[in-house]
Amino acid sequence: MLIPSRAWAKVSVQLNLDRNQAAVTDSIKLVISVSGTRSSDSVPVIKGADDFNVTSGGTSSRFEIINGKVNSGIEYTFFLHPRKEGSFRIGPAEVIIDGRTFRSNTGELTIHKARAGIARGNLFLTAAISSPEAYIEEQLIYTLRLHRRINVSNISLELPESNQFALKKLEGPQEYQTVIGDHTYQVLELRYALIPSREGEVEIQPSRMHMTAFESSRRSQMRSFFDDPFFSAGQPRTVASESFGLTVLALPETGRPPGFTGLVGDFEIDATLEPASINAGESATLTLRLAGQGNVNSIPDLRCPDLEYAKVYADQPVLKVETDEKGLKGLKTMKWALVGEKEGTFQVPSFSVSFFDPENSKYLTLNTSPLFLSILPGQKEQVLVSAAGAGDEGKEGQAKKEVKEIGRDILPVHTSMGVLKRADAYKAGQLFFISAVILPFLVYLAAFAGVRIKRNSQRSMASIRAKKSAGRFIREYRKKGSLPDELSSAIRNYLNDRLSLNLGSLTAEEAAGILRSNGVSNETSLRLCAVLKKIENAVYTGRGNDPCDTGEDIPSLIRQVEKEIR
Amino acid sequence: MAVFSEMNYTYARTEDCQEIFFRSNQACRADNYQEAIEGYNLLIASGCINGHIYYNLGNAYFREGRIGHAVLNYERARLLIPRDADLNFNLRYAKDRTQDAIPESGPFINNVLFWIDSFSAGELLWCFSVLNLLFWAVMLTRLFRRSEWSYYVFLILLVLWLAAGASFGFRWHQVENDKRAVIVQAEVDVLAGPDSRDTTLFKLHEGAVVHNERQENGWYLISLPDRKRGWIPAKAAEMVKI
Repeated sequence: MLIPSRAWAKVSVQLNLDRNQAAVTDSIKLVISVSGTRSSDSVPVIKGADDFNVTSGGTSSRFEIINGKVNSGIEYTFFLHPRKEGSFRIGPAEVIIDGRTFRSNTGELTIHKARAGIARGNLFLTAAISSPEAYIEEQLIYTLRLHRRINVSNISLELPESNQFALKKLEGPQEYQTVIGDHTYQVLELRYALIPSREGEVEIQPSRMHMTAFESSRRSQMRSFFDDPFFSAGQPRTVASESFGLTVLALPETGRPPGFTGLVGDFEIDATLEPASINAGESATLTLRLAGQGNVNSIPDLRCPDLEYAKVYADQPVLKVETDEKGLKGLKTMKWALVGEKEGTFQVPSFSVSFFDPENSKYLTLNTSPLFLSILPGQKEQVLVSAAGAGDEGKEGQAKKEVKEIGRDILPVHTSMGVLKRADAYKAGQLFFISAVILPFLVYLAAFAGVRIKRNSQRSMASIRAKKSAGRFIREYRKKGSLPDELSSAIRNYLNDRLSLNLGSLTAEEAAGILRSNGVSNETSLRLCAVLKKIENAVYTGRGNDPCDTGEDIPSLIRQVEKEIR
Repeated sequence: MAVFSEMNYTYARTEDCQEIFFRSNQACRADNYQEAIEGYNLLIASGCINGHIYYNLGNAYFREGRIGHAVLNYERARLLIPRDADLNFNLRYAKDRTQDAIPESGPFINNVLFWIDSFSAGELLWCFSVLNLLFWAVMLTRLFRRSEWSYYVFLILLVLWLAAGASFGFRWHQVENDKRAVIVQAEVDVLAGPDSRDTTLFKLHEGAVVHNERQENGWYLISLPDRKRGWIPAKAAEMVKI
């Protein structure tokens, strides 16, 4: 690397607890994430953990490049074993990197007394609810804990079903260790938001977990290699939690504000107007955010009343629901476009929402702070608004208008590492491209030359054969004499070679015609034709092996042909 | 700044290029533009010729308020990534911020081969190489076996091959003989001759793109599309040619 990494390092330290509430017999997992470096001078020092036994759970480091962004970091895992009950602030964790100390955030941790549990063997399920009494629609936490001292797999859960309450899963599950009696258990904890919907006494039936359990058959206390589930046969097991009662109270009638919609929990409201000053015909966006913890699915859609000074176009409300340790929390965002019609400064009506606070057992009403909209004189042209359902009277639509530039700036730098690989090919590989341009031409040229050479070679071979054909015929004639079979074959070969033909058989007339067409005189052609006829006659009459008198000096005749042929 | 000065400017491995690129981008995000400029310049000096790096360098110069260098590097980037939407937007915006209204003009051939401005020389060479390969492959086929279809394919490829060849040729000529220069000083006097005592004919400002006719003893003879001509010190402008 050309650049020393520390010159650029942005080190940050994050402390995370796996939960904020635990029993004194539990172990709590604490992870300290150090990002921006892959090594530290020493292990982190955790402040505020004096009342805990701290054991290390290992260290892991990571280095990754995602979308061109380099991330590196170390994670230190610790387990906290509380020594006493109380509320504690864990952290900050201090890490020394290159001689500099970095501090993390802190985490709140509440330690309760040990849960009044009775160990029920190696495997059992418990259920707990955050309160035995609740109001309708109040959010309670229903916690299931599977305690085990044996290995299990294929866990499935059967939750209690009732039309008197609803269960919604929260974050998790979490795993940790706890001590009950003399035994240490591995705990799998699942949390649900329980929202009662009817008043009265509610019986919450047991939850059931089905699983495959791997129980060691050995009596030895020592854990052996063969205790691994791979080597032991699993047995199907079902464990059930205890059932318990819940008293659901009706929401009080006294103090119930008009317009109360059944919202129960803890909520807050906020409204903004952007921009607060517009020209007539332009639009401002009124945004209302209603957020909180409780029965968030009951957050009402608020309506913006019709305004004298502006047209109101409603956007579709957006509800975002999340979960955390305390249960369900949600944010509903409602937006309206206000298109200014009259000049002046006007107060936007405030919005209010009422909810029941179960913690304090009373109704609360929230109001937004007053907002003012200034409408300045503007262009008198009509703003065209096209919105879904705008044609339907009484329905609110979404305002659309011409996009106006309100600011100018350049677009950002290109950060993808991929761009480095796309160096311009023209600059990067000229040699390759020159090869790509010239090589095909050279290949073609070579092939063209090869074809030409081959053709010329064939022609010259034929020419050589033609020139030598007469001599070869005469030599053969003198050697083999005038046997008709031999003579017929020799004359045919001579003509084939001389005229680059490829004829398997040849009649006397054909031979004469070929000779004439190649410039041989009619007389010479007829002489050769007569000779060939005599030879044919001898062959066809069974005298092919007897010497034949053709009445011609055949070598002289061939020489004559040679003279006349073109 | 010191970080870069310690480095070897002549050679950088791919990993180093990525590191420098990443850190220069980070510097840009942290509004540390001078450091980003040095990083991008180091990459270019190391042989990492890339339109995106010129683009980022232009952005860093723009943020530093050096419009001339911003336009210069955007123009260089345009030679390599001419269709990049971000680049064209930023170049247009940067030119809007310059003071001199200089009409843009190009050679007549650009109107005929209207597409060549949208392709880099490298892309046109790629295109020509592929067509060249196909063209000679068809020629080779016809050498051994002549058929009707191969004749029509040959005709089509011939037309495309000629068009691609001409496009690449003109583009290559433009790139290799790019005489454009960008004024990088806030204001420069354009003189009647290559001497500071000569008469000032007109003034040009940072970011103006001019045509450099020739160079003489540290002076550029520049001209504008409206036929204004004059001499400026060579240090007042930088050539767009990479």
